[in-house]
Amino acid sequence: MTDPLVCTDLVVTYPDGPERRVILDHLSLRVAPGEVVVVSGDSGAGKSTLLTVAGLLRRSDSGEVTVAGTPASGLSERARTALRRDHIAFVYQSANLLPSLTAIEQLQLVGHIRGQRAAATRQRARDLLVDLGLDARAHQLPAQLSGGERQRVGIARALMASPQVLIADEPTASLDPERARSVADLLADAAHAQGIATLVVSHDDAPLRRADRHLRLDAGTLLPTSSTTSSTTSPTTS
Amino acid sequence: MFVGLRDLRRGFRRFVLLGVVVALVGLLSTVLSGLATGLVTDGISGLRTLPLERLAFQPGSDATFSRSTLRDEALVPFADIDGVEATPLGASFVNAASSAGGPSLDLALFGVEADSFLVTRDDARAALAGPPGLVLASELEDEGVEVGDRYTLGGSEVELPVLGFTYAGTYGHAPIGFVALDTWQRIQFGAGADGRFSAVALRGGDGAALDGAAESAGVDLLTKSQAYAGSPGYSAETMTMSLIRTFLLVISALVVGAFFTVLTVQRTRQIGLLKAMGATNGYIARDSVGQMALLVAVASGVGVAGGALVVALLSGGDAPVELDLRAMATVAVSLVVAGVLGSLAALRRITQVEPAIALGVEP
Repeated sequence: MTDPLVCTDLVVTYPDGPERRVILDHLSLRVAPGEVVVVSGDSGAGKSTLLTVAGLLRRSDSGEVTVAGTPASGLSERARTALRRDHIAFVYQSANLLPSLTAIEQLQLVGHIRGQRAAATRQRARDLLVDLGLDARAHQLPAQLSGGERQRVGIARALMASPQVLIADEPTASLDPERARSVADLLADAAHAQGIATLVVSHDDAPLRRADRHLRLDAGTLLPTSSTTSSTTSPTTS
Repeated sequence: MFVGLRDLRRGFRRFVLLGVVVALVGLLSTVLSGLATGLVTDGISGLRTLPLERLAFQPGSDATFSRSTLRDEALVPFADIDGVEATPLGASFVNAASSAGGPSLDLALFGVEADSFLVTRDDARAALAGPPGLVLASELEDEGVEVGDRYTLGGSEVELPVLGFTYAGTYGHAPIGFVALDTWQRIQFGAGADGRFSAVALRGGDGAALDGAAESAGVDLLTKSQAYAGSPGYSAETMTMSLIRTFLLVISALVVGAFFTVLTVQRTRQIGLLKAMGATNGYIARDSVGQMALLVAVASGVGVAGGALVVALLSGGDAPVELDLRAMATVAVSLVVAGVLGSLAALRRITQVEPAIALGVEP
C-alpha cells in the first residue's frame, strides 16, 4: 500500500537580507497509514514550514510531496487545493474555529466545501460529535466552549473530511495536562482506527507519549530521537 | 453562502453601521427619485395628458413653444396623410389677474380647436365652442377658483370667465388653462394673429410618412417625450437629479467597497483557514460577495421603504414629490448592483490570501 504522505528531498529557503536562509535542507519523510509521527525541534527550526509544505499549503523550492499517491509539485494551485480538500485535514494549536459557526456547523462546513448533500453531512457531523462526547455542545458557538472542547471540535472537523493525511500543529499546547492527554489520545486513536497518516509538530509530552515515531528537526533535516517508541511500518528519514 | 449567512445572523452588530449607511443612501435616493418624478410631473404632466403622439415645431425652436411660430400651411402636408390627425396648438405662459381683486394665477395657456382630437370631453368641447372662456386645471378649483370668476389675461385686456375645470395637469410648473385657439391667438397676438400658433399636434401615422410631411412642411418633428425637453427647466432638473442620484450610487459603492475591504483584511486568517480546508477562491468569493449583496439588498429595501414613506408623507404638500414604483425599484436594484460592484474591489485580496496563514505562517 502506498504511504499517504511522502516528502522527498524537500528544500525550502527564505530570504534573509541579501542571502537565503535554508529552512528545509533536502528533507525526506514518509508517513504510513495509521502511523503517528511527532516532530519536535527548536523554535525557528522549520517545523511549521514542514507542516505547510507537507500539507500543500505552500510550495517547496525543490523536492516532491506525494499525497495519496499523487505528486503535487507539478499541479496547478486549483488541483493542489482539490487534493488538499480530498485527502488532507488540519488540527491547529488554537483550534481555529470560525467564530460565527456552532460546533456542528464547523463540521458541516467541511461537507459544504466538498459539495456534499446537506442531510448526509448533518448526520455524519452529529455522529462524530457523539463519538467525541460533544453531542450536548453541538449548537454552542466557539466562545461558549472550553479550550478542550474547542480542540475536540477541531479534531472532529478534521475527521469529518475522512482524510488520508492529518497534519497537527501543537494540538495540545494551549491545554492543561489532563486535557492534553485526552486530545493526544483522541488523535492517536483516530489515526490508528481509521488508518490516517498523522504528522504532528509538538513539544508536549502528551503527543510524544502516543507517537509511533518521534523525529527531531535540526538544521533543516529530520533526525530520529532516542524517545522514539515504535515504528509500526518502515518509514524512512534522511 | 454557508459562512456568510451565519456571520450576518450571529455577528449582526458588526454589519449595522454599513447597513444603516446603505439604508440612508436608499432613503435619500428614493426621496430624490420622488422629487424628480414630482418635478417631471409638474413640468410636463399637462403635455403628457394630451392625446397627441408627435409635435411639429418651427425649426431651431428646441421644442420650446414660445420659440416656435407656425401658420396653417404647416398643417397641410400632415392633413394629406391617411390616418393622421393634425391640429394647431397654441401654448404660452400668462398671468391671469382676477377681475374681482382676488389672487392672480400663473397659467400655461393652451389654445386648441374645440372640435380637435385634443379635446376629449364633450362638456369641454361644448364649453370651448361657445363664448370665449377658460377651462382650468382642476387643482385651481382646490385653491378656491370658481366657475364664473373672471380673469384678465397677460395684459392683453382680454377678460375671460372660468367655464369649468378638468384634469389638465401642469406644464413648466404652471397649471394649464385651455381656451379656444382663436381666443389664444387674440391674447397672444392681438388683432394681427394672422392664423399663427405654436406647434402642430399629431396623432396616428407612421414615422416615414410623417418625416416626409415634416420635411415638406419645413418643420421639426418630435415625439411627445422628445418634446418634454422644451418645458422650462425640465432638462436642467432631470439632469441635476440624475447627477445627485449617480453620486449617491457611487458613494454607496465606495462605502461598501471600503467596508468589505476592511472586513476582508480582518478575516485574513479565516480566509486562510477556509483555503486550507480546500475551499477555492470562487467558493470564498461567492460566500463573501453573497453576504454583502444580501446585506445591501436588505438595507436598500429598508431604506427605499423608508424613503417611500417620506415621499408619501410629503406628497399633497408644497413639495412636488410623487411615488413611482418603477423609480423606487430602480433605486433598490441600482444600490444592490453598486454594492456588489463595490465589494468586487476586495476580491483580489481574497485571492491573495495564502492558506499557510491558517498555521500562523506568514508566506
